[in-house]
Amino acid sequence: MPTTAETKHSNGRNKGIFNNTTGFSTLITVTVLSLAWLAGFASRLFAVIRFESIIHEFDPWFNYRSTAYMVQHGFYNFLNWFDERAWYPLGRIVGGTVYPGLMITSGTIHWILHTLNIPIHIRDICVFLAPIFSGLTAIATYLLTSELWSRGAGLFAACFIAIVPGYSSRSVAGSYDNEGIAIFALQFTYYLWLKSIKSGSIFWSICTALSYFYMVSAWGGYVFIINLIPLHVFVLLIMGRFSQRLFVSYTVFYIIGLLLSMQIPFVGFQPIRTSEHMAASGVFALLMAVGALKYLHSLNPKGQWKQLLILGGLVAAGTVFLAVVLLTYMGVIAPWSGRFYSLWDTGYAKIHIPIIASVSEHQPTTWSSFFFDLHVLVCTFPVGLWYCIKNINDERVFVALYALSAVYFAGVMVRLMLTLTPVVCVLAGIAFSILLDLVLKEDEMQTAPVETEDSKNLYDKAGKLKKRTPEPVPAADSGLGMNVRSGTLIAFMILLMLFSVHCTWATSNAYSSPSIVLASYGNDGSRKILDDFREAYGWLSQNTAEDARIMSWWDYGYQIAGMGNRTTLVDNNTWNNSHIALVGKAMASNESAAYDIMTMLDVDYVLVIFGGAIGYSGDDINKFIWMVRIAEGEHPKEIHEADYFTERGEYRVDSEASKTMLNCLMYKLSYYRYDSGGSPAGYDRTRGALPGHRGFQLTYLEEAYTTEHWLVRIYRVKKPDEFNRPRLPLAKRTIPTSNNLSKKPAYDLGPMTSKRRKGLLKNKPTLVKGKKMTKLE
Amino acid sequence: MMPAMAKIQVLVLLLLYIAIQCGSLNVDTISSDIKIKNVDRSIDISSQLVKITSKVTLENTGKVPVKNFLLSVEGGAKSNLAFISAKDQNNKDLRLVETTVKGYDQVKFWRVELKEAINVASTAIIGTESVYTKALQPFPTAITQQEDQLVKYNGNLYFYSPYPVVSQKTNVVLNTKSVESFTKIKPFSQQDGTIAYGSYSNISPFTEKELNIHYKNNSPFLTVTRLARLIEVSHWGNIAIEETVEIEHTGAKLKGPFSRYDYQQDHHSGPASVRSYKTFLPASASDVYYRDTNGNISTSNMKVKKDSVELDLRPRYPLFGGWRSHYTLGYNVPSYEYLYHSGNEYLLKMRAVDHVFDDMQVDELVTKIILPEGSTNIVVNFPFTVTRLSDSLHYTYLDTKGRPVITFTKQNVVENHIQDFQIRYTFPRLLMLQEPLLVVGFLYTLFLCVIIYVRLDFSIHKPEHQHKD
Amino acid sequence: MSLEIESMVRYASPINPAVFPHLTMLLLGIGIFFTAWFFVYEVTSTKSSRDLFKELLLSLVAALFSGFGILFLLLWVGIYV
Repeated sequence: MPTTAETKHSNGRNKGIFNNTTGFSTLITVTVLSLAWLAGFASRLFAVIRFESIIHEFDPWFNYRSTAYMVQHGFYNFLNWFDERAWYPLGRIVGGTVYPGLMITSGTIHWILHTLNIPIHIRDICVFLAPIFSGLTAIATYLLTSELWSRGAGLFAACFIAIVPGYSSRSVAGSYDNEGIAIFALQFTYYLWLKSIKSGSIFWSICTALSYFYMVSAWGGYVFIINLIPLHVFVLLIMGRFSQRLFVSYTVFYIIGLLLSMQIPFVGFQPIRTSEHMAASGVFALLMAVGALKYLHSLNPKGQWKQLLILGGLVAAGTVFLAVVLLTYMGVIAPWSGRFYSLWDTGYAKIHIPIIASVSEHQPTTWSSFFFDLHVLVCTFPVGLWYCIKNINDERVFVALYALSAVYFAGVMVRLMLTLTPVVCVLAGIAFSILLDLVLKEDEMQTAPVETEDSKNLYDKAGKLKKRTPEPVPAADSGLGMNVRSGTLIAFMILLMLFSVHCTWATSNAYSSPSIVLASYGNDGSRKILDDFREAYGWLSQNTAEDARIMSWWDYGYQIAGMGNRTTLVDNNTWNNSHIALVGKAMASNESAAYDIMTMLDVDYVLVIFGGAIGYSGDDINKFIWMVRIAEGEHPKEIHEADYFTERGEYRVDSEASKTMLNCLMYKLSYYRYDSGGSPAGYDRTRGALPGHRGFQLTYLEEAYTTEHWLVRIYRVKKPDEFNRPRLPLAKRTIPTSNNLSKKPAYDLGPMTSKRRKGLLKNKPTLVKGKKMTKLE
Repeated sequence: MMPAMAKIQVLVLLLLYIAIQCGSLNVDTISSDIKIKNVDRSIDISSQLVKITSKVTLENTGKVPVKNFLLSVEGGAKSNLAFISAKDQNNKDLRLVETTVKGYDQVKFWRVELKEAINVASTAIIGTESVYTKALQPFPTAITQQEDQLVKYNGNLYFYSPYPVVSQKTNVVLNTKSVESFTKIKPFSQQDGTIAYGSYSNISPFTEKELNIHYKNNSPFLTVTRLARLIEVSHWGNIAIEETVEIEHTGAKLKGPFSRYDYQQDHHSGPASVRSYKTFLPASASDVYYRDTNGNISTSNMKVKKDSVELDLRPRYPLFGGWRSHYTLGYNVPSYEYLYHSGNEYLLKMRAVDHVFDDMQVDELVTKIILPEGSTNIVVNFPFTVTRLSDSLHYTYLDTKGRPVITFTKQNVVENHIQDFQIRYTFPRLLMLQEPLLVVGFLYTLFLCVIIYVRLDFSIHKPEHQHKD
Repeated sequence: MSLEIESMVRYASPINPAVFPHLTMLLLGIGIFFTAWFFVYEVTSTKSSRDLFKELLLSLVAALFSGFGILFLLLWVGIYV
C-alpha cells in the first residue's frame, strides 16, 4: 500500500502536530470514522425515537428470548437448552439449532456492563446492538478498502456503508438479528484475509480464521466466505499467481477455520460432510498438489515443468472433483440442500419448497429495489470494479470475485442484497476516491504554488496527495479545464448529498417500522398507535394458564413465545414442514375436522390475525393460500388448493367465494361476529368485500379475546364436555385416525389432477416484509 | 454435662418466653366504668372496600377519670381489617395500641389513649374509622360479559364493643337502588342508595347480629396483588420513583366468551369490567413512563393539575373478573420536595405508599429506598407498623461499594396508609465527587495504558521505526 | 440525631439541572479536544521525540474534562448517579 510507505517517511521530517501529515491524516481518519459511526448509529434510531426501544418483527424476538435466557441461566445451560415452549409436542433443542454468536455477543456486553455496575437491561443492549455494530462494520470496511486501494477510498466506503439503506434495512435499532453483527464479521474476515494473503504471515491467517469462527457462530451466511475464499484461491491459481504467501495463508486459514467452525454445535460436522463446504476442501487439496509440484519444480528448474505443472494441476483438480462426487454418491457427503438449489434455480423453491417460496424475502430482486437500497452506488460501483480489474493484483481479484458473486446472489433473492451492499460500498468508495483525486489533484497543483510561499508543509502535503493517487490517473487528465473540474466536483457533491438524503429517507420510511406496533395517521397529522399485537400477547401472558398451548400460523410463533410466554405449535424456525402443514390443515379444514386436529395437538387457544377492520394487509386471510398450499403438500387427499378458489379461479371472501373457503376454520375465526369496520357493517377493508358467510356460530371454539382493532383474535378450544357434539349416526362414530398422520402421500395424483387447477389470486396477497426464516444459506 | 446443658436450655427458653410475654403483648381489662351513650355508625359499601365510620359518645360512669378505652373488632372480620383509627372532638388523631383481653382470644382489641381524660360523669365524642378489604363477596361468583356484578355484604348489625351501648343507629351507603335482599330488623328504612337501621337501644357488650345485604355493585373490584415501590435518592437533585404493580380484577369472574363485538356496541357493555383508572402523582412529577415487560403501554393520558399530576391509565386490555395485568410506572421528582438537610445530616420524608387508584386495596406492599452511596447512620421512622426486611446493597452506575437499601413490607394496605415515612442519614458532601473522579480515573488509566503501549515493542525482528495507525 | 425537620432546609442539587446540557457540551468539547490532541501526539511522536511529562499532562487534562463531561452527560440524559 503506497500510503503506509509514505507515512513512514513523513515521521521523521515533520515535528509540529497539526502540520504533520501523519498526525493530520490520522486525525482526519479517526474523525471521519467516528462521525461515520455516529451517523450510522443515529440514522438507525428512527424506530426508537418514533416508537420506543423495542425488539422488532419476528426473528429478533426469538433471538431476544434466547439472549435473555442465556443471561439468566448462564452459557452452558443455554447450550443445553431444550425449549419445550416451541414446536409442541416436539420441543426444540435451541442450543444445537441456533447460531449463538449473536447471543454471546450481547451476553458478553451485558456481562461486562454489569461487572462495571452499569445496570442496562438486556433488552436495550439487544435493541442497540445492530446500530453499534454498524459502526464497527464501517471501520472494517474502511480497513478492507484501504487494503484494496487507498485510505481515502476507505473513508468513502466507510461513510457509504454507515448509512446505505441496503445495510441499514437489517440493522436498525431493534432489528436484533444475526445479520446485524454478521456483516461486520464478513467484512472483517475479508479484510484479514487480504491482509494475510498480502503478507503471507501465519499471524494474519490465524486472525482470519478466528474472525471466520466468529462469523460461523453468528450467521449461516458464513458459507459465502468459505466458498468465496477458495474461489479466490482457485482463480489465483488459474491466473498463475501461485505464491508461498497464498499457500501459507490459505492452508493455515483452512485448517484452523475448519476446526473452529466445527465447534459450533449447530454446524457440527457439516464442513466435512456437506457439498456446500466441499469447494474449500477441494481447493485445499489442489493447492497442496500445486505446492508439491512447484516444490518439485524448484528442485530442477529446467525441463518440461510448465506443462507438467498444468497437467498435474488439472489431474489433481479432476481427482478432487471425482472424489467429492463419489463421496456424495456414497452418501458420506450430503448433497446440496434445497435452499442451496434455490440459489441456482429460482423456480426450484416454488415447486419443491412452498414454505421458502411463501416468504417475501426469498423472492427475486427487482431492479427498483437495487436502486432503492443502493441509490447512486449501484451506478458507480462498476467504475470501481473496472479500475480494480484494470490494475489487477491478488487482492483486487478477490474484490472482483466478491462483487460478481454478490451481484448474482442479490439478483436471486431480495434478502441477499445484504451481501451485495458491502462490496458495492467498497467499490463505489474506490470510484469516488479516484474521481476526487482526478478532480482535486489539478486544483491543488494550481493553488499550491500560491500558498507555497507561506507554508512549505502544505506543499508537501499536496505533493503527497498527488503521489497517493493511483496509477490509473494518467497525465492526459491534466487537460481538464478548471470549469469542468469544479463542475464535476459540484455535481458529485450534489449526488452524494442526494445519496445521504435518500439513505435517511429510505431508512426512515421503509425500514424503521417495528411491525409489532403500527401507527396510523389521521387527516390532521395526528398519530394513532395501534398496539393490538402487544395487547393480545399481554393478554395471553397474564390470563391464560402457564402451560397453555397456542395454535397460530408460524409467523407469530416467536412473538407468542417472546411476548406472550406461552407454548406454540409452530414458529419461524420452520424446521418441521409436516408440523406446519398440520397447522395449515387445521386452519384450512372445517370446524369439526379442525377440532380433531386441535385435540390431537392439545391446542388450548387459537390465535389468528385479522386485518379487515383496519385494512392491514398482512393478515392471515391473505396468507391463507400459502397455508393451503403447504397443507396440500403434505395432505393432498384432504386439502386441495383449487377448492379455495371460485369457479373462475379467483381468491375471494365475499358471497361468491367457494363453499370450502367460507366454511374453513380460518375464515370462521376471522369473521366470527365481525360486524364493525366499514360503512356496511362487517365490511372487510383489506379485501374490499363484504364477507360471504356471516352470522354463524362456533361449536367447538369460543371467542376468548379480540383486540381493540380486531387485529388479533384469540379463541379458546372448548373441552369435550363444554359442547354438545353434533349427533353422529352410529355407523360413523369411528374416527379414522390415519387421516391425521402426516405421512408423505403416495404419488397417486391421477384422479386429483383435474381438481388441481392453479388458481389466480384476485387480490394477490401482499406479503409483508419480515416473514423470514431463521436460517439461510 | 447433659443435665447442665438442658438446664441452661430450659432457662434460656423460659427467659425468652418471659421476654416475649412482657415485650409484645399488652393485656388489658374491660373497665366497667365506661358506657357508650350513643353510636352513630355509617357503613359505606359502595366501593370494593367496606368503610365504617362511627361517632361514639363515651360516658364515664365510674369514680375515677378514664384515660383510655378499648376498641374491638369481631373475630370473623379481623383478618379483613386493613386500617383503624380514632379521633377526638378536635379531629386530632389518637394513639392506638394493640392489646388483648383475657377470655376474649378471638376478638381483636385496641387501646385508645385519650389526650384528655374523661372526667367522672362526663362524656366525650370519639370518631373512629375502620376499613375492611375483601369483605364484599361477589355472588354469583361468575357472571357473563353483559351482566351486572352482585355482591354480598356480611356484617354486624350492632356496633361491636366491649361496653354496653345505650342507643345506636347505622346507615349503610350502597349508592344503588337495586338491592336483591337485605336484613330486615325493625326499625329500618330504605332510601335511594342507603339503608338506615335503628335506632336500637340497650345492646349488651359483644353482641353480634348478622347484617346481610345483597346488591348490585359495579364499582371496580381491583386488587393490587403486589406493589413494589422503589425510591432512589440522588444528591444531584433528583428522586426517582418506580412502582411495579400487579393488578387483578377480584370481582365476579368472567363466565363464557368475551365478545369484542358486544363490547364495542355500546359503552355500557361489560359493566363490571375496568377500562381505565386514574392514578395521582405528586405535582412535581416529571418524565413519567408507563410500561410493562413488552414495552410502552401507549394508551394513557397525562394531565398536569395544580396540586397533582393525573394519569389516566388504561391497561392493554379491559380487565374482566379474574383477569390480571401488570405494569411499571416511574417518574422523577426534584429532591427539594422531599429531602431536607442541615450540614451533612439529611432527612427524607416521603410517602410509604402512593395512590394507585381510588379505593385501592393492596395485598402486599414492598417499599425499597435506595440512599446515595456512602450514607451512614440510617434511622427510619415508619408511620404505621411494617415488617422491615434486612438491608441490602444496590449497585448501579458508578458505584463501588454499593448503595444502602432499606426495605420494608406490609400486607393489606389501603388509601388511608398514604402517609409519610422519615429516614435520617449522614452523607459527607465530598463523596459526591467520587463518581466523576471515578470516571476521570478510569479514563486516565486508559490513557496511561496507551502511553505504556506505544513504548512497547512486540516485533521479533529489529524494527525500522514502524508505528501503529 | 436530634435534628428536627423544622431546623432543616430543603435540599436542592448543588448544580442547577437546567445547566446540565451546557456543562456537558462545554466540558466534553474540551475533553474531546484534549483527547484528540493526546492521541495525535501519541501517533506522531517517535521514541526520540516523546515527552513523558507532556503526555501525562495532556492525558490528565483530557481525562479531567471528559470525566466531568461524561458525568453531566449522564445527569442530562436522566441517569442520576
